Amino acid sequence: MDNSICQVYEEIQSLEEEIKLLAEKYEDNQHESTFFSDEEIVMSIKSFQREFQRGSKAHESPSDLKSELESLEADLSFLMKFTGIQFTSHYKKTLEKTKNRTVQKHRLSGNCHSLSFQLEFQLLEIQNKESVSAVITDLSIIMESGEDSDMSKFVSSTEEHGNLLTFFRSLSSYAEWYEHRRCTFLHFK
Amino acid sequence: RLPSRPPHSWRGKMEGGKAYSDGVFAHLEMLEARAREAAVKQEEMEQQEEKLARLKARVQELRLQRDELRAKVELQEKGQLGKGGVVSDPAQPSARAVLEWKIKSVKATLQVFYLTGISGKLTKRGVCFCISTAYEGTYLDSYCLDLLIKPEVRIHRHSVPVFIPLEQIAKKYLQTDIRRFLSVLSDHLNAYAGRRYQADQLQEHFSDQIEGTLQRNSLCNLLIFNYNVSSKSQTFLLRVRLLYGDLCCSLPTEVVVSCAPDAPASLAEMAAAHSDLFRRTALHKAFRSFGSADKS
Repeated sequence: MDNSICQVYEEIQSLEEEIKLLAEKYEDNQHESTFFSDEEIVMSIKSFQREFQRGSKAHESPSDLKSELESLEADLSFLMKFTGIQFTSHYKKTLEKTKNRTVQKHRLSGNCHSLSFQLEFQLLEIQNKESVSAVITDLSIIMESGEDSDMSKFVSSTEEHGNLLTFFRSLSSYAEWYEHRRCTFLHFK
Repeated sequence: RLPSRPPHSWRGKMEGGKAYSDGVFAHLEMLEARAREAAVKQEEMEQQEEKLARLKARVQELRLQRDELRAKVELQEKGQLGKGGVVSDPAQPSARAVLEWKIKSVKATLQVFYLTGISGKLTKRGVCFCISTAYEGTYLDSYCLDLLIKPEVRIHRHSVPVFIPLEQIAKKYLQTDIRRFLSVLSDHLNAYAGRRYQADQLQEHFSDQIEGTLQRNSLCNLLIFNYNVSSKSQTFLLRVRLLYGDLCCSLPTEVVVSCAPDAPASLAEMAAAHSDLFRRTALHKAFRSFGSADKS
């Protein structure tokens, strides 16, 4: 009797985990296949505030969502200005999601000062006992100013080793120098 | 005194009415006790069965829920639910759903900044920066600095290890160029993380080649250890001392590979070759190349 109760408990636990993962997968798919423009966002904020004033049963007041969005956008805009890295588009797709492993495909485009880039990579995250480890694979980089031979050597070496972090840090300092040089030339024209 | 024998064996020992009635009561009590035990056991079994039945019903519920979700996800992946966010009204998503979508998107982009090496969050009194470290494609530890900006920029709290010269770097750059400050600090942290990663990888994947313990300091810029090599089906011991003089670099500036004084000349040649290799290549990659090179 105890044995069968034990087995049933195990099955319940495994079903609950499976349901949790499926629900997350559903949310991810939903999120990743949707897009709303900035105008739609602004309109939604206004309409949300109107709905609330009309007295609908919102357990979360619009000011909470609105201020959360504003705070996040302030952080993002600060980071972009501070680092010089502007992301113009970010596409993400969850390829695999199990209890301990998540694989996502990312497509990013943006510019660092005047240098434009387009990236694609896969991000593997593994849940260890105490932490989460993240590894980049299948990194592919396209630089607008790709004709520069030093730049293309740098890019292929970066792609080979999945050196995404080094790419951004080097890009940042190179772009600043490049910008400084450009301004200096303009000054002397 | 209660006899524990069954009734029929003391019928013969009866000595008068009182002994008889005492015996009968004792026997009745024993029967009652047995009946109680049996009833309790019966109740327990019924409770267990009820519990099992409830749990099995729960399993059915969950299976149903799981199957419904599976079907929804399959439909999604076939693209039949279409755009719009909210299932109940796929054509017209609610304003709340749109906002929640946008919040989730902005959060995802902020997470990408983590991958660039510098991310952060505005606080009431300044900024909290987070410097991430990585070795090639593997992200390692990240370190945070809580900065206050008024009346001047200063570090309120941080998680940078003590052996990283934070004060020196701050003194030089924090007031004049925060970007430069973070960049230099990031160089130190990434180099440290890279050195530590190489030593860890060595201990994890090449422990059979290492003799004794791998000595290292907390900054991981001094490594001393012995390792064995095989040459003409004989095993020899080499001792290596790696000094990483440039704290912003994860390759050593000084390498000394030594062997026993009575070792053959070919070994001394090997030591020199290894010394050169360690100067140019990451430690674990150097050892990986040994494995594929000499198979004697």
